[in-house]
Amino acid sequence: MTVVQEQVEPRTRPVARRTKRRTARERAVLILAVLLLWSYAAVALAPMIIMALDSLRPNAAVLSDPLGLPTSLTFASYAKAWTEASFGTYLRNSALVTIAAVALDVGVSLPASYVLGRYQFRGGGVLTAYFLAGLMLPIRLGILPIFYLLGGLGMIDSRLGLVLVYAASGIPFSVFIMTAFFRGLPRELEEAARIDGAGEFHIFARVMVPLVKPAIATVVVFRFVPLWNDFFFPLVLLRTTDKYTLPVGLTQFFGEFQTDWSTLFAGLVIATAPIVVLFLVATKQIVAGLTAGMGK
Amino acid sequence: MRRRSGFAILAAAALVATMSACAPSGSSNSGNGDKVTLSVWSWRPEDAATYKKIFDKFHESHPNITVDFKPYKSTEYNTILNTGLTQAGGPDVMQLRAYGLLQPLVKAGYLTALDGKVAGLSNFDSTALDGARGKSDGKVYGVPLEMSTFQIYYNKDIFSKYNLQPPTTWDQMISDAKTLQSAGITPFAAAGKDSWLLPLYDDTFAATRYGGPDFEKKLLGGQAKFTDPDYVAALDVLKQLKPYFPKDQMGLGETDVQTLFATGKAAMIPEGSFALAPIKKINSNLNLGVFDAPPAPGAVTNNPLQVGWVDASYGLNAKSAHQKEALELLQWMTTADFGQMVADDLKQMSLIKGVQSADPLLKQMAQNYQDHPTPYLMLVDFRYGTPLGSDLEAAGLQKMLLGQQTSAQVAGDIQNGVSQWFHP
Amino acid sequence: MKWRVAACFLLPAFALYSLFVVYPLLSALAYSFWRWQATARDGFAGLSNFTGLFTTFPLNQQLWPAFWHTAVFFVGTMLVQNTFGLLVAVLLHELPVGRRFFQTIYTLPYLVGGLVVGYLWSLLLSPSFGPVNKVLEAVGLGAFAKPWLGDPSTALPVVILVNAWQYIGFPILLFGAALAGLPQEYAEAARVDGTNAWQRFSRITLPLLLPSIGVVSILTFIGCFNTFELVYALSGAQGNQPTGPGGATDVLGLIFYRVAFQEGGANAIGQSSALAVLLFLFIFGIAVLANRIIRRREASLT
Repeated sequence: MTVVQEQVEPRTRPVARRTKRRTARERAVLILAVLLLWSYAAVALAPMIIMALDSLRPNAAVLSDPLGLPTSLTFASYAKAWTEASFGTYLRNSALVTIAAVALDVGVSLPASYVLGRYQFRGGGVLTAYFLAGLMLPIRLGILPIFYLLGGLGMIDSRLGLVLVYAASGIPFSVFIMTAFFRGLPRELEEAARIDGAGEFHIFARVMVPLVKPAIATVVVFRFVPLWNDFFFPLVLLRTTDKYTLPVGLTQFFGEFQTDWSTLFAGLVIATAPIVVLFLVATKQIVAGLTAGMGK
Repeated sequence: MRRRSGFAILAAAALVATMSACAPSGSSNSGNGDKVTLSVWSWRPEDAATYKKIFDKFHESHPNITVDFKPYKSTEYNTILNTGLTQAGGPDVMQLRAYGLLQPLVKAGYLTALDGKVAGLSNFDSTALDGARGKSDGKVYGVPLEMSTFQIYYNKDIFSKYNLQPPTTWDQMISDAKTLQSAGITPFAAAGKDSWLLPLYDDTFAATRYGGPDFEKKLLGGQAKFTDPDYVAALDVLKQLKPYFPKDQMGLGETDVQTLFATGKAAMIPEGSFALAPIKKINSNLNLGVFDAPPAPGAVTNNPLQVGWVDASYGLNAKSAHQKEALELLQWMTTADFGQMVADDLKQMSLIKGVQSADPLLKQMAQNYQDHPTPYLMLVDFRYGTPLGSDLEAAGLQKMLLGQQTSAQVAGDIQNGVSQWFHP
Repeated sequence: MKWRVAACFLLPAFALYSLFVVYPLLSALAYSFWRWQATARDGFAGLSNFTGLFTTFPLNQQLWPAFWHTAVFFVGTMLVQNTFGLLVAVLLHELPVGRRFFQTIYTLPYLVGGLVVGYLWSLLLSPSFGPVNKVLEAVGLGAFAKPWLGDPSTALPVVILVNAWQYIGFPILLFGAALAGLPQEYAEAARVDGTNAWQRFSRITLPLLLPSIGVVSILTFIGCFNTFELVYALSGAQGNQPTGPGGATDVLGLIFYRVAFQEGGANAIGQSSALAVLLFLFIFGIAVLANRIIRRREASLT
């Protein structure tokens, strides 16, 4: 198609070129849209700002006037959260467990999604449905059998057991999304590579995977965050306090009748910071996916 | 290339995780000679520091036993306990819920009966031990830890500002409320969003209307039902008091109303003995008093009644590897030493005979309960099956206050739900 | 591709998933055929756990309202969260700068977890302290100042909005990723031909986004029928009654959570497993059907 051949070149040029082609009306709409985007950004941020402000006030002040401004800034809650929730240890555990689990999850789901997304074969539909089924039940339903299973494998109170359960529970989501993205890639790609004499794994690893980087980044974010914030499974499956993850440490601030909000919020600010960093890295991948790819 | 090094980093991280996870963890229960560590589980993270002090005291008199106190978030405690009791590695001693909620653990055989094993059980009244008894076999499975009462707190400063006294008659209470309202102060800081409080409000204000302990006896004996006119009228009392509750009651949770009260925007709050410490945390300058609601209009009982119940106990895991040491700990929990720390440090009401709180308010509440007790009906007697009586009443009262149901319908629902498992 | 190579690609995921997810979930579903005393079995129950769901009062009366609320929750979420998510994603795609900035800010609420989101919004919506009502009163709209979470008519819409607030990052990111992968040639050619932005969007972009729309819709459907954490956190401590004022925000995921982890339910495992079986059959049926319809639509486009 002539259209394709003509436009391959300009794709690698800077984006500014597109802006010039906008009509005045389109530009006005865009400005309005940006204003709206900023207004919603305020709504998105407001509760988080409150949380950050409350973390800088003593808990008594937070309890009596939840939305007041800090009269004097105090970092006491941060110190308390760090020591009482053993942040140093728990941060390391959270990082280990979550990174390992997401890596394992994505590592096994990528090849599986590739096959399910690009090749038709008997039982392919059944297999896809099999993977999707795991999404449909709350994984908490299986807590008792998981507890017994890990017990049988000698993995109660083991971070490895936690990693395996986490990775496995993410497979349905990862497979579902990445299969859809693989399916969306043009048919001709493998044929072109195969004609060049490339082996199956080479096609997969060097040609296809780079093209779904935006999907991988999205999956990584949406698997990382729930695992990073999960307190339920470590609470039930781990026994030694040294192995606990951050959210478990944070549950110490939820009293039966009264919660230590100031310390909890301080803990959350610390706990959320790494995810924000991860998020910025991941979104860079999504943008980078724009310029990588078909131009080659 | 970039991607390869990325994979390498991830693989390395996974390997490190695996290696550190496979490292053998020291067992916390290793018995080297006589030294033993007992693991005690509870649902009160806020008491962690206090319990450390308490168990340090225990260690002084029992130097071979160290206690590792592990509190868990109260909403997840049941799951953690249920799974933890199925295999080794669980707790030795654990905090147990009272009355009906204790029974599944008893029936599953997870607990060791304490009769004859803990001599100090005689330091408790028989009614106190009822909270820790197995319903089917009558054996005691826990050492009672504390009791809770529910009554009306009032702000003494606000009362004296408007020349009010704790009311002795219902009419006086209503006129007090009206005075406060016209001064722009909410009379009663009552919550509606945390609906578990609603049945407690009803028993506090209206137990006199249905006849307190006498009604309880008749209910359990089958001579009375929840649909009897006295009980229905008692439910109605809450509706009669609605004008004196906060305007947006249904949108207010327990912490909201505690803050309302603690910041002086409300003059009275129906709350539990367990709420004293949290309320004082919000505002330590409060000048507080307590009173029991005067007999409601048409009351069957002619004196105020104080609502109370046994709240928790500590029991013994049948699978514990340290039965002897755990029993020593449980025995220590029946002594006045421990009871005094429960009263003064944990700020709860101990059930051990002879132990009194140093705090004058808690002392007064305990005294009130001695003088004219009534049980929190739903918790004490109607949690032995599902649906729980307290859930039915809470849901029903919420609907009643929203105008979705009449008190007769609420009573009907309670009776229907409960008769599925309750047979007097 | 040779089937042996394909098997190598599929096996790791299949094995890990089957052992640690499928096996436990199947066991849990099998629990529905037994009676339980906490975590100890107490005799074979046959189908009595299933019939019990529809005959035990008040649970049987809570199931249908919860189903209705969940359906409303799903439709509301599609309309608010995913439609705006799509629009924002398209907008951001057109912006020369600021894309990652806005993506980050909009996804920030997702990063803290449901319990905290629930508490923060309960605070904002509180009738006594919340700024929402204070702002309404200051602007003269005091008549609209309600106990948002305490009024049966506003509770569920508010929950839908807060939920969308928390999760809008997902459609924004996913659609953003999809848009990033779209071949630009068609849009460029259309622009040259003189079509306006809306036509470009509806005739070209939207059909090309169909696979991602399908993914987002199915995941939203499954998520809505399982969700409970945020609704639970917004609705106050209600023990085991249907959540919300008079049960107005009760959803199926919450019924499951209550029945499974409720205090005192001796047969909690039996009942909750039975409920999970029924839920699963329903969700699975609809999801597979939806997937098939969307795939057929996709095929007809290429």
